Amino acid sequence: MAALMAWIFPGLGHMLLGQRRRGLLIMFGILFLFFSGLLIGGLDAVDMKQDRIWFVGQAFNGPIAFVADFLNQAFIQNQPMDIRIHRVGLANVNWLAMLFITLGGLMNLVVILDAFYPPNRMDHPHRRSDDQ
Amino acid sequence: MNLLAWIPFLEPMNVFHQWWYLLLLPLAFGLAVTYKAIRLPTLKSYWWQVGVMTAQIVCGVVALGVLVALFVQFAIPYLTQ
Repeated sequence: MAALMAWIFPGLGHMLLGQRRRGLLIMFGILFLFFSGLLIGGLDAVDMKQDRIWFVGQAFNGPIAFVADFLNQAFIQNQPMDIRIHRVGLANVNWLAMLFITLGGLMNLVVILDAFYPPNRMDHPHRRSDDQ
Repeated sequence: MNLLAWIPFLEPMNVFHQWWYLLLLPLAFGLAVTYKAIRLPTLKSYWWQVGVMTAQIVCGVVALGVLVALFVQFAIPYLTQ
Protein backbone atom coordinates (compact mmCIF):
# COMPACT_ATOMS: atom_id res chain seq x y z
CA MET A 1 0.00 0.00 0.00
CA ALA A 2 2.82 2.42 0.92
CA ALA A 3 4.65 1.59 -2.33
CA LEU A 4 1.49 2.27 -4.35
CA MET A 5 0.99 5.59 -2.58
CA ALA A 6 4.65 6.42 -3.25
CA TRP A 7 4.00 5.98 -6.97
CA ILE A 8 0.67 7.85 -6.95
CA PHE A 9 2.34 10.90 -5.43
CA PRO A 10 6.03 11.05 -4.42
CA GLY A 11 6.51 11.05 -0.64
CA LEU A 12 3.02 9.84 0.27
CA GLY A 13 4.29 6.30 0.88
CA HIS A 14 6.65 7.40 3.63
CA MET A 15 4.01 9.69 5.11
CA LEU A 16 1.70 6.67 5.24
CA LEU A 17 4.46 4.80 7.12
CA GLY A 18 4.47 7.58 9.72
CA GLN A 19 7.61 9.31 8.47
CA ARG A 20 6.03 12.68 7.74
CA ARG A 21 9.13 14.86 7.54
CA ARG A 22 10.98 12.32 5.40
CA GLY A 23 7.97 12.09 3.09
CA LEU A 24 7.83 15.87 2.70
CA LEU A 25 11.54 16.00 1.84
CA ILE A 26 11.10 13.22 -0.75
CA MET A 27 8.09 15.06 -2.19
CA PHE A 28 10.13 18.27 -2.43
CA GLY A 29 13.07 16.50 -4.11
CA ILE A 30 11.07 14.57 -6.72
CA LEU A 31 8.73 17.45 -7.57
CA PHE A 32 11.72 19.82 -7.74
CA LEU A 33 13.32 17.61 -10.41
CA PHE A 34 10.01 17.09 -12.25
CA PHE A 35 8.93 20.73 -12.43
CA SER A 36 12.48 21.95 -13.10
CA GLY A 37 12.50 19.63 -16.13
CA LEU A 38 9.15 20.96 -17.30
CA LEU A 39 10.28 24.55 -16.77
CA ILE A 40 13.50 24.02 -18.75
CA GLY A 41 12.14 21.96 -21.63
CA GLY A 42 8.43 22.73 -21.58
CA LEU A 43 5.75 20.06 -21.80
CA ASP A 44 7.55 18.53 -24.78
CA ALA A 45 10.06 17.00 -22.34
CA VAL A 46 7.47 14.31 -21.50
CA ASP A 47 6.49 12.50 -24.67
CA MET A 48 5.30 8.92 -24.53
CA LYS A 49 5.15 8.56 -28.31
CA GLN A 50 8.40 10.11 -29.53
CA ASP A 51 10.63 9.53 -26.49
CA ARG A 52 9.31 6.18 -25.34
CA ILE A 53 12.52 4.91 -23.70
CA TRP A 54 12.86 8.12 -21.68
CA PHE A 55 9.22 7.83 -20.70
CA VAL A 56 9.85 4.41 -19.12
CA GLY A 57 11.91 6.21 -16.45
CA GLN A 58 9.63 9.26 -16.35
CA ALA A 59 6.58 7.07 -15.64
CA PHE A 60 7.96 6.29 -12.15
CA ASN A 61 7.15 9.91 -11.22
CA GLY A 62 3.55 8.72 -11.03
CA PRO A 63 0.32 9.97 -12.63
CA ILE A 64 1.79 13.50 -12.97
CA ALA A 65 4.02 12.17 -15.78
CA PHE A 66 0.98 10.81 -17.62
CA VAL A 67 -0.86 14.11 -17.12
CA ALA A 68 2.16 16.00 -18.54
CA ASP A 69 2.22 13.64 -21.55
CA PHE A 70 -1.52 14.16 -22.11
CA LEU A 71 -1.07 17.95 -21.98
CA ASN A 72 1.90 17.67 -24.36
CA GLN A 73 -0.17 15.74 -26.89
CA ALA A 74 -3.06 18.21 -26.51
CA PHE A 75 -1.24 21.56 -26.47
CA ILE A 76 1.89 20.88 -28.53
CA GLN A 77 1.86 17.79 -30.73
CA ASN A 78 -1.65 18.41 -32.10
CA GLN A 79 -0.97 22.05 -32.92
CA PRO A 80 -0.15 23.43 -36.39
CA MET A 81 3.56 23.55 -37.26
CA ASP A 82 3.87 27.36 -36.84
CA ILE A 83 2.76 27.07 -33.19
CA ARG A 84 4.51 23.77 -32.51
CA ILE A 85 7.89 25.04 -33.65
CA HIS A 86 8.01 27.45 -30.68
CA ARG A 87 6.95 24.82 -28.16
CA VAL A 88 9.19 21.88 -29.06
CA GLY A 89 12.50 21.69 -27.20
CA LEU A 90 15.67 21.04 -29.19
CA ALA A 91 19.21 19.85 -28.51
CA ASN A 92 20.71 20.64 -25.05
CA VAL A 93 17.53 22.07 -23.59
CA ASN A 94 15.47 19.07 -24.64
CA TRP A 95 17.75 16.29 -23.43
CA LEU A 96 18.56 18.08 -20.16
CA ALA A 97 14.87 18.57 -19.42
CA MET A 98 14.22 14.90 -20.16
CA LEU A 99 17.20 13.97 -17.97
CA PHE A 100 15.78 15.96 -15.01
CA ILE A 101 12.40 14.25 -15.24
CA THR A 102 13.79 10.77 -15.94
CA LEU A 103 16.25 10.93 -13.05
CA GLY A 104 13.42 12.17 -10.81
CA GLY A 105 11.39 9.14 -11.89
CA LEU A 106 14.26 6.74 -11.24
CA MET A 107 14.85 8.31 -7.81
CA ASN A 108 11.16 7.80 -7.10
CA LEU A 109 11.63 4.12 -8.02
CA VAL A 110 14.23 3.95 -5.24
CA VAL A 111 11.72 5.68 -2.94
CA ILE A 112 9.00 3.17 -3.93
CA LEU A 113 11.34 0.26 -3.14
CA ASP A 114 12.23 1.88 0.20
CA ALA A 115 8.52 2.19 1.03
CA PHE A 116 7.89 -1.40 -0.15
CA TYR A 117 10.73 -2.84 1.97
CA PRO A 118 10.89 -0.56 5.01
CA PRO A 119 14.24 -0.92 6.78
CA ASN A 120 14.31 -3.18 9.83
CA ARG A 121 14.78 -0.87 12.79
CA MET A 122 15.95 -3.74 15.00
CA ASP A 123 19.03 -4.05 12.76
CA HIS A 124 19.50 -0.29 12.65
CA PRO A 125 18.32 1.04 16.02
CA HIS A 126 19.33 4.63 15.19
CA ARG A 127 17.79 4.66 11.75
CA ARG A 128 14.90 7.08 11.42
CA SER A 129 14.50 7.43 15.16
CA ASP A 130 13.94 11.16 14.83
CA ASP A 131 10.79 11.07 12.74
CA GLN A 132 8.80 8.36 14.43
CA MET B 1 13.08 34.05 -29.19
CA ASN B 2 11.78 37.05 -27.30
CA LEU B 3 11.94 36.29 -23.57
CA LEU B 4 8.77 38.30 -22.93
CA ALA B 5 6.84 35.95 -25.19
CA TRP B 6 8.05 32.87 -23.33
CA ILE B 7 5.27 30.84 -21.68
CA PRO B 8 6.62 28.90 -18.66
CA PHE B 9 6.08 25.12 -18.66
CA LEU B 10 4.73 25.23 -22.23
CA GLU B 11 7.73 26.51 -24.14
CA PRO B 12 11.38 25.52 -23.56
CA MET B 13 13.88 27.91 -21.92
CA ASN B 14 16.13 28.40 -24.91
CA VAL B 15 18.55 30.54 -22.90
CA PHE B 16 20.01 27.27 -21.62
CA HIS B 17 21.26 26.25 -25.06
CA GLN B 18 24.31 28.35 -24.22
CA TRP B 19 24.44 27.84 -20.45
CA TRP B 20 23.32 24.21 -20.27
CA TYR B 21 26.17 23.11 -17.99
CA LEU B 22 24.85 25.36 -15.18
CA LEU B 23 21.88 23.00 -14.91
CA LEU B 24 24.18 20.42 -13.32
CA LEU B 25 23.80 22.31 -10.00
CA PRO B 26 19.99 22.02 -9.63
CA LEU B 27 20.12 18.46 -11.01
CA ALA B 28 22.68 17.40 -8.40
CA PHE B 29 20.73 19.24 -5.67
CA GLY B 30 17.44 17.50 -6.54
CA LEU B 31 19.09 14.08 -6.57
CA ALA B 32 20.83 14.75 -3.24
CA VAL B 33 17.61 15.97 -1.56
CA THR B 34 15.79 12.77 -2.49
CA TYR B 35 18.64 10.32 -1.92
CA LYS B 36 19.58 11.67 1.52
CA ALA B 37 15.91 11.69 2.59
CA ILE B 38 15.75 7.90 2.28
CA ARG B 39 19.37 7.06 3.10
CA LEU B 40 20.17 8.94 6.30
CA PRO B 41 19.43 7.14 9.60
CA THR B 42 18.43 10.47 11.19
CA LEU B 43 17.59 13.83 9.69
CA LYS B 44 19.63 15.91 12.14
CA SER B 45 22.38 16.92 9.71
CA TYR B 46 20.20 16.52 6.63
CA TRP B 47 20.85 19.81 4.78
CA TRP B 48 24.58 19.64 5.47
CA GLN B 49 24.64 16.11 3.98
CA VAL B 50 22.62 17.33 0.97
CA GLY B 51 25.19 20.10 0.41
CA VAL B 52 28.08 17.64 0.64
CA MET B 53 26.47 15.21 -1.81
CA THR B 54 25.63 18.03 -4.24
CA ALA B 55 29.26 19.15 -4.17
CA GLN B 56 30.45 15.56 -4.62
CA ILE B 57 28.27 15.05 -7.72
CA VAL B 58 29.32 18.39 -9.26
CA CYS B 59 33.02 17.78 -8.57
CA GLY B 60 32.77 14.21 -9.88
CA VAL B 61 31.13 15.29 -13.14
CA VAL B 62 33.62 18.15 -13.58
CA ALA B 63 36.52 15.73 -12.98
CA LEU B 64 35.08 13.30 -15.54
CA GLY B 65 34.70 16.16 -18.00
CA VAL B 66 38.35 17.21 -17.52
CA LEU B 67 39.51 13.61 -17.97
CA VAL B 68 37.52 13.18 -21.18
CA ALA B 69 38.78 16.55 -22.49
CA LEU B 70 42.39 15.55 -21.78
CA PHE B 71 41.82 12.20 -23.49
CA VAL B 72 40.37 13.86 -26.58
CA GLN B 73 42.98 16.65 -26.71
CA PHE B 74 46.12 14.65 -25.99
CA ALA B 75 45.62 10.88 -25.89
CA ILE B 76 43.74 10.46 -29.16
CA PRO B 77 46.18 12.60 -31.24
CA TYR B 78 49.07 10.67 -29.65
CA LEU B 79 47.46 7.30 -30.41
CA THR B 80 46.66 8.24 -34.00
CA GLN B 81 50.19 9.44 -34.83
